[in-house]
Amino acid sequence: MNGIEQALVGGVEGGTAILIPALGELIGERAGVINLGVEGCMLSGALGAFALTAVTGSALIGILGGFVSGAVWGAAHGYLTVVRRADQLASGLVIWFLALGVTSVFGTGYVNDSINLLPIIAIPGLSKIPWLGPILFRHDILVYLGYILVPLITWILFRTNVGLLLRATGERPEVVAVAGNRPVLIQISAVTIGAGLAGIGGAQLSVGYVGNWFNDMTNGYGFIAVAVVLFAAWNPIRVLIGAYLFGVALAAASVLQAHGVAVNQYLLDALPYLTTLIALVAVARKGSNRGPEALSRALSDTS
Amino acid sequence: MSKTLSPKEKTTEPALQREPRGISSWITTVSVKRFLIAIAAYAIALVIFGLVALSRGANPFGVFDAMLQSTVFNGGSIEQVLLRAVPISLAALAVAVPARAGLVNVGGEGQLIMGAVAATGIGVEIGTHLGGPLAWLAMGLAGALAGAIWAGIAAVLRINLGANEAVTTLLLNFIANDVMLYLIYQPWRDKLSSGQPESSPLAHGVQLPLLFNSQLDLGVLIAALIAIGIWYIFRYSNWGFALRVVGGNPEAARRFGLPVKRLMLTSMLMGGALAGIGGMLNLAGVEFQLRPGITVTFGYVAFLASWLGRHEPLKVVLAAVLFSAIALSGNGIQLGYGLDGSIVNILLGLIVLAPLALSRSKSG
Repeated sequence: MNGIEQALVGGVEGGTAILIPALGELIGERAGVINLGVEGCMLSGALGAFALTAVTGSALIGILGGFVSGAVWGAAHGYLTVVRRADQLASGLVIWFLALGVTSVFGTGYVNDSINLLPIIAIPGLSKIPWLGPILFRHDILVYLGYILVPLITWILFRTNVGLLLRATGERPEVVAVAGNRPVLIQISAVTIGAGLAGIGGAQLSVGYVGNWFNDMTNGYGFIAVAVVLFAAWNPIRVLIGAYLFGVALAAASVLQAHGVAVNQYLLDALPYLTTLIALVAVARKGSNRGPEALSRALSDTS
Repeated sequence: MSKTLSPKEKTTEPALQREPRGISSWITTVSVKRFLIAIAAYAIALVIFGLVALSRGANPFGVFDAMLQSTVFNGGSIEQVLLRAVPISLAALAVAVPARAGLVNVGGEGQLIMGAVAATGIGVEIGTHLGGPLAWLAMGLAGALAGAIWAGIAAVLRINLGANEAVTTLLLNFIANDVMLYLIYQPWRDKLSSGQPESSPLAHGVQLPLLFNSQLDLGVLIAALIAIGIWYIFRYSNWGFALRVVGGNPEAARRFGLPVKRLMLTSMLMGGALAGIGGMLNLAGVEFQLRPGITVTFGYVAFLASWLGRHEPLKVVLAAVLFSAIALSGNGIQLGYGLDGSIVNILLGLIVLAPLALSRSKSG
């Protein structure tokens, strides 16, 4: 396997830890609620999944635990921002701080634990495709979950009544209410599910990719996920592109280092953030990526 | 958006009157009921925090005692709180100034770092030839400039390309941290130190002097003066008023003939410069050399402080001092109880959560 292939394989694995949270964030933002606490939800998911996998030995329970650990914070964020009408950005940062504190306190016992990584599943047939096979079809189950979620969420958002309701809530909650639905419930559910997906992203990091737990292990990935949604202009397919772009930038840093390229590690570490920033700028044209209207309104009310 | 600009002939007066007149009138305007609810909310925050400590096998009362000892009662601990409040207050003002113009600066962390980096660069360079006020001024200007540039990047991207500044400032935080790590692991690494990598320490002459016989350094005084200055600017200057108009209703401000883009840019540059100065003061007064984790989330704590203080300068600084104390109290808990010091992040979050949970009255 040469360096480029290594970077791409790593890009898919690491990118999944951005993709799933970003898809979750997209669901929430489509309903009109931005959650900067994705970082915290991922962190909780990473610890929840790791701890439950370590205790029960079951990867499935671990992944579910990751979902629940993230979703709990999402429900709190939803309650604060939708019911109590708290500032969305401030509430999100609070969620992050709380999760940072809670995971560091309850995670201390797991720092030196080790677990079995999620098993690698080679898709019969597809994984034999030259070059592409090993890059795309020899991964853990969460990577495949990412593959499935992109078309699934696209379909739900744009082809079903649930999706229509969700998007309508993100544009004009008042209209949805007049039509006899409950925008509050829709928004809270969207944020909760979204945060649950962030938790699964965290699980990919701790039990799928790294294999242990340490404090603040998400290292800003949650914020990248929020940026990716913006970059993608709230479109799941473009979220996929943005997330894998980040993943490849991340993997490229370590591959370059492993190949002894004499570039400072910390400049390489900045690469993913820089890539995301540049990507964000490249697509940002004045007014061309207007987000859901309720979201813009919530954000412009910040001060 | 509820705030709109009144017609031209009665712009200044009513808008200025609407502003709170400092702490005393603030207390009288808050109804007793709301005050009691707020007290209850903070009490609940403390109880939840105590329960978390209890769940880790620590006696909550002992934990609270350790927190108070390490921040208030022990000799010199109040001074430590104030010293640590310097970068937090300035980074919090860096949130408050752009917030007035409707911009969200979550980049205090990166701006603090860049301020400290620039100050180190200048300080180490000139430290061998120069000391005293001139050197401090040079370092302060370098810090302010670096912070302003770092915030300015996000401002330009927002104003010219419409890129959301909350997200770009966040990303820039991580880039700033990597830039600093690069510098201290390679070109600036202190060859004499054997432990963790650090930059070469500042020469004695460029370090900020202590005030009188206390542990406080000149930075505390400078930060206090800056805070008062910002309060004054917000209240009495045309610029401060224009920012408020832009923040309240940019469209109205544009029709009114205000240079909206320039006001947004200058508010962000000013914010970045403040945080940059905060980074410089922390470096020249407390740290003396760059090290990994020099800011330890001060920038984010500052965002919450500004939010808790409703972006009003003097309240923002009070919140920053409170948060500084909470952050510092983590040391006491860690030493006394072996709990991870980041447990205080829970208390910090809960304290901001209390008014958030009560914020139904906010228009929106």
